[in-house]
Amino acid sequence: MQAMEATAGGVPATVNTAVASGRSPDAGSGSSPALWIAAAGLALVVAVPFVFIVLQAIFPELGRGSLAAPFSRLPETLSDPVLLRMALNTVGLGITVAFVSALIAVPLAVFRALFRVPGAVVWDALMLVPFMIPPYIATLGWIMTLQPSGYLQQLAGFNLAPFLFSLAGMAFVMALNCFPVIYFAVSRTLEAVGGRYSDVGRVFGASPWRAFWRITLPLSIPGLAASLLLVFAMAIEEYGTPAALGRRAGFQVLVTEIELRVSDWPIDLPGASIMALTLVVLSFGAFLVQRRVLSGRNFQTTGGKPQAIVKRPLGALTVPVLALFALVAFLAAGAPLLAILATAMSRTISGGLALDNLTFANFLRIYEDGAGALKALSLSLSLGVATAIVTGLLGAVASYVVVKTKSRGRFALDVLTIIPNALPGIVVAVGLILAWNQPWLPVTPYNTSLILLLAYCCILLPQPVRYTTAALHQIGDNLEAAARVCGASSMVAFRRILLPLIMPSLVASMLLVFAVAARELVASLLVAPVGMHTVASFIWRQFEQGSVGLGMAMAFVTIVLTTMIPLGILSLMRRGGGGHVL
Amino acid sequence: MRISLFAASAVFGLALSASTAMADITVYTAGPASLIEDLAAGFTAQTGVKVNVFQATTGKVMARIEAEAANPVVDVLISASWDTATDFAKRGWLVPYTSPNAVNVPDFLKTDTAVAQGVSALAIAWNPKSNTPKPAEWADLAKPEYKDLVNLPDPAQSGSSFELTAALEAQSGWKLFEDLKANGAMVAGANAEALNPVLQGAKAVVFGAVDYISLAAAKKGESVEVVFPASGTVIAPRPAMILNWSKQQDDAKAFIDYMLSDEGQAKVAAVQLMPARTDVKADRPLIGDLNVLKIDTDAVYSKREDTLAKFNSIFAN
Repeated sequence: MQAMEATAGGVPATVNTAVASGRSPDAGSGSSPALWIAAAGLALVVAVPFVFIVLQAIFPELGRGSLAAPFSRLPETLSDPVLLRMALNTVGLGITVAFVSALIAVPLAVFRALFRVPGAVVWDALMLVPFMIPPYIATLGWIMTLQPSGYLQQLAGFNLAPFLFSLAGMAFVMALNCFPVIYFAVSRTLEAVGGRYSDVGRVFGASPWRAFWRITLPLSIPGLAASLLLVFAMAIEEYGTPAALGRRAGFQVLVTEIELRVSDWPIDLPGASIMALTLVVLSFGAFLVQRRVLSGRNFQTTGGKPQAIVKRPLGALTVPVLALFALVAFLAAGAPLLAILATAMSRTISGGLALDNLTFANFLRIYEDGAGALKALSLSLSLGVATAIVTGLLGAVASYVVVKTKSRGRFALDVLTIIPNALPGIVVAVGLILAWNQPWLPVTPYNTSLILLLAYCCILLPQPVRYTTAALHQIGDNLEAAARVCGASSMVAFRRILLPLIMPSLVASMLLVFAVAARELVASLLVAPVGMHTVASFIWRQFEQGSVGLGMAMAFVTIVLTTMIPLGILSLMRRGGGGHVL
Repeated sequence: MRISLFAASAVFGLALSASTAMADITVYTAGPASLIEDLAAGFTAQTGVKVNVFQATTGKVMARIEAEAANPVVDVLISASWDTATDFAKRGWLVPYTSPNAVNVPDFLKTDTAVAQGVSALAIAWNPKSNTPKPAEWADLAKPEYKDLVNLPDPAQSGSSFELTAALEAQSGWKLFEDLKANGAMVAGANAEALNPVLQGAKAVVFGAVDYISLAAAKKGESVEVVFPASGTVIAPRPAMILNWSKQQDDAKAFIDYMLSDEGQAKVAAVQLMPARTDVKADRPLIGDLNVLKIDTDAVYSKREDTLAKFNSIFAN
């Protein structure tokens, strides 16, 4: 992730004209190939399933290929008081999770970006781990730790069940899973802002605090706003944690209701589609708020000038800051991992934490059960890689068109990239089935693993889009203008100038996409081709069958792999000199 | 370059795995997974016909069939709820078939269009290490000894839990459930989700646990005992059906025959389910050993929403 420094320093400072604000005049004209690539990709990945969900909401009989009785289901679903209560709960949960996540992430990100934190790279790696722990697994780990007779009680003699099974507990568990999004976005943005602008403020007499509040923090707003929006969207569409904790906390949300309607016979696809569209509206609201925050201001901080990032020493704060990092790392990564490992290595659940209950049998079964477990692992890992590449490329091109060109239709593209934020995995899955299982289609990805790829791409596309959009907002248009003046085509300018500059953000988001795709649960359960299992559906099946230990062993193996692979790529990049990944 | 090579190989790998997904018959089934894998492997070994399996909860299987209704691919469906067989027969989606191996399947476990694979029953699952007395009856769980220590599977998520709720309600009204709630009983997700806290000791008892899951856990050495109350319980026959859009109906029929063969039924018994055939031995209490509560399925399911609403209003926080 050090690539930003290397590249920003390596760009020759040839032109630094005063086109600081406003878009370069000809940027729109040469962008058509990028526009067409983005439009085609988004149409396939997002528009197709989304359109079918809308159609399903309007035409209840769509699944049987009939357009009968349009709009017949809308009034009863929309006037159901349950819908309003769940919508309010959903918004409340999303805001609480975003708030708690920011509370955890922002202080850490500020220290990480502006100060020399000892072992910074190690802390970064540790902050990636919570993202690698599938939320439903982490929640199960917390339940097994905090419930009466859980691991905490076995070790320390008390339990925290009343806290865990409450809105606060739910928000806490979800924030521990989501906060890395904010941590990485804010620390990278702040790093890009660097100390340089606040140094200018200091020169003009501002105190360090004043410089931070008035200069550094406002300039990091794109990163913060984009990541808060992502966390909000992740929280309102998360299924596993509200399903496991929400009912006991008496707090149900739209997603759990949608899931119920989709998995409860008789299935209510139209009702679920209408509720899903309600979720889209909520998320779209958040998106508009973010746009308002970003519009009308200029956040360009990456000009042509090489900038050296000078980080301050922590001084007397070293010990408290390290303690804070350690505490968060333990709560977000250590505790759930230990609970997972403890469960995976228990002969029986009722045996508890005892030496005679210790076994490696579950890990051995993964190894022996070769066909099932190992095939699921390799399918999920290759799907993770493919999803990261497709969403990374598509996301970069789409956000380039949206941010840096004046193409007509870029607002439509922007909307298409935000929609999947609000589509719960299960609804994307239903939309994909409705779209791709039409009998008249000559070829279809349905019932092949490509349908999983489509589902994952739709669900995860917002990640690279938000990250690269924030990064692109900070790149001065004069860099691209300079390249165009020197004779580069728009594609060359994009590939040689913008792409390397947004690479750190793009790679970070692609690594997250890889990790999430490799463990995606809800859509996998529904669209997995017959006879195929992904890691998550394998684990879920073990839980359903009561083989919690085997499921946890598989979860542990997956977490280790999905953490080590991105870290390996990062260290390869660092050795390879950062900017030359492509 | 490195990344695009990686991409090419990943996509190629996906395409490869896609092409191997072709199979001769497709079976959608509720759990347990090990059973259907065993049955599929045995059937393929005997007939050479490949079996493609989609295994999930009954609700997820139904959702998939509903979403695929325009272009269905499933040949054989094995549900965990007899209601599915009744409902699909009414829709006219099923192929009438009586397997020659179904002779020893009792009449209440077969119709013209469906036959049971096996049968599960609901029971009390109790952790002997929970410092509570061993319960014998449903009503025992409303006693102070079990305060805050009882889990109930969600009748909205489990067909058999719903039938138990309806049957007990018909027997003695809602009072039992109100007493349970007053005693701190919790509704906790689907079946395995309700059992897990009992194994760890957070709870002592599941009220209405699916028996085979608990019996299999006990066999693995978990501290759990299964109690069938003498006052009666409900059973959940697991209907197997052939869908009328199937293009491989002969192979599908052969699969039903295999499932009901001596070998197939032995595999059913191995996962602690009751075999559908009365002449197949199993190492567990059988239907004849249980006091089965009769329910009028049509009447019960026609007021399903009311029953669930009443249940939820009792257990609402």
